[in-house]
Amino acid sequence: MTRARAFAARAVAAAAATWLLSACATVPQNRRAHLADPMMGLTGDALDTARRQKLYDTREGAAGGDGATAGGGCGCQ
Amino acid sequence: MCLEPSKPLGAQPADLPVAAAPSDAEILGRPDEALHVESVATRVTSFDQYGHGYQSQAGPLLGAGSERATIFEPQLEIVASQGDRLRHVLTVPVDVVTAASPDAIDHGPASADVVSGASRFVVSGTIDWAATYRASAESDVSMRAGLHLEEPFRSWHGGLATSRAFAGGDTVVALSALEVFDWFDRFDVTGHRFGRTQRSSTTASAGVTQVLTPTAVVALNYGITLQRGELGNTWNSVPLAGAERGPELLPGERLRHALVVRASQFLPWNGAMKLYYRFYSDDWGLVAHSVEAQLMQRLTPSVYVGALYRFHTQTGVDFFTTLATPDRALRTADSDLAPLDSHTIGGRVVVDVPLAAPVRALHFELGYERYVRTNDLRMDVVTCETGYRF
Repeated sequence: MTRARAFAARAVAAAAATWLLSACATVPQNRRAHLADPMMGLTGDALDTARRQKLYDTREGAAGGDGATAGGGCGCQ
Repeated sequence: MCLEPSKPLGAQPADLPVAAAPSDAEILGRPDEALHVESVATRVTSFDQYGHGYQSQAGPLLGAGSERATIFEPQLEIVASQGDRLRHVLTVPVDVVTAASPDAIDHGPASADVVSGASRFVVSGTIDWAATYRASAESDVSMRAGLHLEEPFRSWHGGLATSRAFAGGDTVVALSALEVFDWFDRFDVTGHRFGRTQRSSTTASAGVTQVLTPTAVVALNYGITLQRGELGNTWNSVPLAGAERGPELLPGERLRHALVVRASQFLPWNGAMKLYYRFYSDDWGLVAHSVEAQLMQRLTPSVYVGALYRFHTQTGVDFFTTLATPDRALRTADSDLAPLDSHTIGGRVVVDVPLAAPVRALHFELGYERYVRTNDLRMDVVTCETGYRF
């Protein structure tokens, strides 16, 4: 079980490294059409992100730290 | 089949690196300095929550009390530009909460609603204004300020941020700082008011966004938050040995760290997969891991659907208890600070319809999520957004 987990961890690390190393070449502007698709937004719609963040911040004790506010409202953080 | 997406209403320019390119002013001449509204969006979300927690007195004396609440949350976002360098985003979220407020206390000598019945309601609202100035084609600076108003609660926040693009826009490095100051009523666990108290939260974060391929982008962000002051809501109670309840006793300081990785990969069948991982740790002993996966599928050039699953696990703070001895220096029975796992599953439909001027696009979104926590909390969330791009 431990060996299987170690193998899986190495496989994931190797795949991630391969994926990240592919960034060594610059992507020209005219090949970024897919990146501009609204489905691809890393943080999504601003209002949706805000309401989801508030949901989790006020129900799990792990708010803040990542650029988002911890505090402000509800008195429950 | 190749489905080109409609012009997105909710596109986030900060998401993707932008390479040096001729500005509108350079192409069209001197820009108009008047304020132009680019888009207006409204979102309405309802939360229907059921569950129990040991901090609530809406139940047996030493048992878990009700955390039943319904929340109605309208939001408004207006994006406006001023010339070709200045961009403003005004956000106004409002919460109408049927519980979790000591609204009743100021009007009578009896106990607070959160302490007794958890059934009153409170309306709260926030005004947040962010202005971003594009200093050059590669860099920008932004300022953010806002105010939160709630019946027993006032909060102010302000922040600065900057970002710079490198390598033709493939890499964007961002730094930000944010200060939040909260000023609110102090109550005891029987619902009586004892003046005012305060806390501050200072956050600094740094992040890098990297375009990996024409179909993949990844972002890494680290942030640290220092909180000082009254870090509880002051009315949460803790069951005590001896058949009574006492106040929550929390440290006066909390240092939080969070590391976030996001990745987005376009899929060959006009879909997209988004992955999210967050590691969190603080000096109260709480360690948390959150992972989320979203799958999107474009059905037509104007319509796509999405599904998401999120898993969160946390250890709980060192001093969490459901039955404390009266002499404990630190104690909390807050179910949010307990060891717990949570699962979120949801889906949404998004429609972006291109129109003729003056409204260039119509945006519509409908979503549903089910949130379930292993320590007896569950919630149904329905959300709907409409927006116009001019």
